Amino acid sequence: MEQIEWNLLVVNYLFLAGLSAGAFAISSFATYIGGPHFRRVARIGALIAPFPVAIGVGILVLDLGRPFAFYYLFLTVQFTSPMSIGSWLLTGFIVLSLAYAALWLPAPFDNLLRVPNRAHLKDFSQWTPLAPNTIRRWRAILAAIGFPLALGIGIYTGILLGAIPSRPFWNTPMVAQLFLFSAMSSGTATVLLVTALLGARHAHGYEEERRLLVSTDVVLIVLEIFMLVPFLLHHALSTWSSASSIELILGGEYTWWFWIGVILLGIVLPLIIEAYELFPVILKEGAARYSLALSAISAVFVLIGGFILRFVFVYAGQASHFLPLVTR
Amino acid sequence: MASENKRRWGFVIEVKRCIDCKACMVACQVENQVPLGKHRNWIGRIGPTGTFPILGLKFEPGNCMHCDNPPCERVCPTGATYQRDDGLVLVDYDKCIGCRYCMQACPYDARYVDHEHGYVDKCTFCVHRLDAGQPPACVETCVGGSRHFGDLNDPNSEVSKLLATRDHYVVYAEAGTEPKIFYIS
Repeated sequence: MEQIEWNLLVVNYLFLAGLSAGAFAISSFATYIGGPHFRRVARIGALIAPFPVAIGVGILVLDLGRPFAFYYLFLTVQFTSPMSIGSWLLTGFIVLSLAYAALWLPAPFDNLLRVPNRAHLKDFSQWTPLAPNTIRRWRAILAAIGFPLALGIGIYTGILLGAIPSRPFWNTPMVAQLFLFSAMSSGTATVLLVTALLGARHAHGYEEERRLLVSTDVVLIVLEIFMLVPFLLHHALSTWSSASSIELILGGEYTWWFWIGVILLGIVLPLIIEAYELFPVILKEGAARYSLALSAISAVFVLIGGFILRFVFVYAGQASHFLPLVTR
Repeated sequence: MASENKRRWGFVIEVKRCIDCKACMVACQVENQVPLGKHRNWIGRIGPTGTFPILGLKFEPGNCMHCDNPPCERVCPTGATYQRDDGLVLVDYDKCIGCRYCMQACPYDARYVDHEHGYVDKCTFCVHRLDAGQPPACVETCVGGSRHFGDLNDPNSEVSKLLATRDHYVVYAEAGTEPKIFYIS
């Protein structure tokens, strides 16, 4: 294209949608592991999940050429269009994650969870509060339905780009997986950041909670590396157009963004910090070195890296092209 | 009967006959009231090739290829981009929300945003002229006789005869889009 059509608004949207999906997934995961240790992770993840994606979708509507025509997305389902499937997926996810967040409202707001009582429909204070058992059951049900939806959102943000053969930089299956793992990682990092800022307050089993979050994040970052390496190799060993397209990050315009932003800030530094925290446990030499500051720093690095990853992919992809490119 | 009579509009462009006068671009701009600074058709430049003193320079005019397998239609989330029975790929401007996904999907960069209206637009093969029995404006005006237009399903049409007798290529065949602009080099 003559110019970049999808700009920072789209980058923001992809990042925020992924972050929400990740926050929901880690919350759902923590709900299913169960036990009081992980309740805070489940609650914080659930309370975060609906909002970044809702903001992101709002931003995306503003990016449309005809924002007021957005409802045409919901008058049809186009099975071959990732964006159409994604719109429906996002709608379902936002609705479900709002309901899920409501079920995780902390006291005293959990008092808002009431069902109408026939005799007293007019007076909210007379409505019946949901029984704790009912709340727990519905948390589990929504966590189970929402988990695949959250994974779907994570994958969709990658498929949106990956399913476009005309942009060789995007057109590999690795992009979907990479965006999925990055989404899960940024959601986990957000929960890690919030829990670190809250400190040990309201936590039952601070150590266990730290271990869950930090080790999950380590696994996700390693999975990202497992996607980035084949991504680079696939392109380097592929067709002319494909091999030329990664020159954008191997010496071209987005090289520093990729190697400093994505690789160093988003992957290497948080991995080193989190490995440092976990090292004594891995070597069975004692307690892990969890610290508020280290968790917060590594989480911020992951988030910055995740954002730059979306930026590099959205921009470099649009700059890539089938070859030979005829000058106009 | 209906299938026998079915039309399939297409271009055949003789690269050697293009002199880069850009009359097709101006004709299109006027005919379709294309916003200033945007173009529905273009003239690509191939070369200079060779080594001095034997040098070559060719011009490859183009516009939307109205692909048989249009990637823009595939990715359109609202169904705004659609394909007519005669193979034309058109935009329903009411349904277009301006997401610009089609612009990502088109390997030929044939689309642009109409910023006044917010929708995405492109060459229509001058559908309003075709429906009135006239050729597209760029074909009618082509000075060098480079642009040919007709029914690819009709073996007696000018384009079919050219394709039957001359070597030709399509742009980015590897994209699998099956474009309906054929080039004679």
